[in-house]
Amino acid sequence: MNKFKYFLVLAGVFAAGSVLAGPPQTLLDLQKKMAGVKSVYLEFSQERVLKLFSDPLKSEGVMLVERPDKIRWETTAPYQTILLGNRDSVAQFEFNDGKWEKLKLGFPQLLQRVMQQMSAMNQGDIGAMLNDYTASVATNTDVVLTFVPKDENARGMMSSLEVHLPPDLSTTREVVMNEPGGDLTRIMFKNEKRDVAFPAGTFDQAKPLAIADVKAAVNHAP
Amino acid sequence: MRLKLLPSVLILAAGCAAAPPVQSHFIHTANLFPADGFITQRAVFSTHGRQFPLNGYLAVSETGGKRLVITENFGHILADVLVKPGGKVFVMQSSRAFSPKDIRLGVAADLQCVFGDATNLNCPVEMPDANHFIIKRHGYSLDLRIVEVKPGAQPASLFDESKAERQ
Repeated sequence: MNKFKYFLVLAGVFAAGSVLAGPPQTLLDLQKKMAGVKSVYLEFSQERVLKLFSDPLKSEGVMLVERPDKIRWETTAPYQTILLGNRDSVAQFEFNDGKWEKLKLGFPQLLQRVMQQMSAMNQGDIGAMLNDYTASVATNTDVVLTFVPKDENARGMMSSLEVHLPPDLSTTREVVMNEPGGDLTRIMFKNEKRDVAFPAGTFDQAKPLAIADVKAAVNHAP
Repeated sequence: MRLKLLPSVLILAAGCAAAPPVQSHFIHTANLFPADGFITQRAVFSTHGRQFPLNGYLAVSETGGKRLVITENFGHILADVLVKPGGKVFVMQSSRAFSPKDIRLGVAADLQCVFGDATNLNCPVEMPDANHFIIKRHGYSLDLRIVEVKPGAQPASLFDESKAERQ
């Protein structure tokens, strides 16, 4: 499987938590719930579980999405990096020696496509998702949506994608991307806020506003 | 767009891994890292004016060797290499981005430069501070930061070369 397909699969991970459609009814309910959402703020803890290593590889960060096409995926620990994307461009920054450095990205079109898909799917563009995945729903204490790639090559990269939500579908609790060999990536979300007004500069690809300032604005919003 | 050009530039870079040092201010400090432990790194690989951010996860064992896994932004493994204490290199996993040759000639060589026993004569490494290494070779550079060091014994299975890709 080529890397481009990998990224397309990966884009589905981020999308599925928020935007799904088609039968069963839960998916329709979730799609309806997300259709009117103008922006989303999420903090995440990510665990990359590789059978190879005894401990998971952990990271933390924030994901911000704003209609129509803006997205910011920022890792805040153990290192700091910001990915910014919109319909036209993408940018990445690394924080070193007390300052942010904008990278001259190799193959920015690829990253842009990934970011664009993450953004679009979070806003209700579900066609590609249901075209590419078989969906099922299990309800217990959580609602667990499971997506299995229809494409055999895609399944070679990711055997299934699970999205965990509370029964009222009010927030995305966890996304798990399972790989055929037993490795997985688990992204646990918290402090989700919908329809927040992000301050100017949040998605600026030349000089993004510091995440501390974004958080302050989001947390003090009425 | 496919990443088909990336292997080319990496091959180009790796092919130069044994080139003479461009510049070196690096005095290898054998005790900089624990003999047994786990070291998390963040790096930016630069070649032909383009930059690629990478993560590195290195398990080291005095008796077992060094096992380095390199991933991209989203955690996908791009390279996995084992270097035994005697210096023998085993490619455990390659990718479209890093071919076995890239890993053997480029990744393993740089690994040995920073974390191994290689002398600075073969290693064009600058060390601006204790957690920061810059490797400059003909065709590419690697700006490497040590993010976290966890001392402690690592599982012996990490250093088992029997599961390497066919050499």
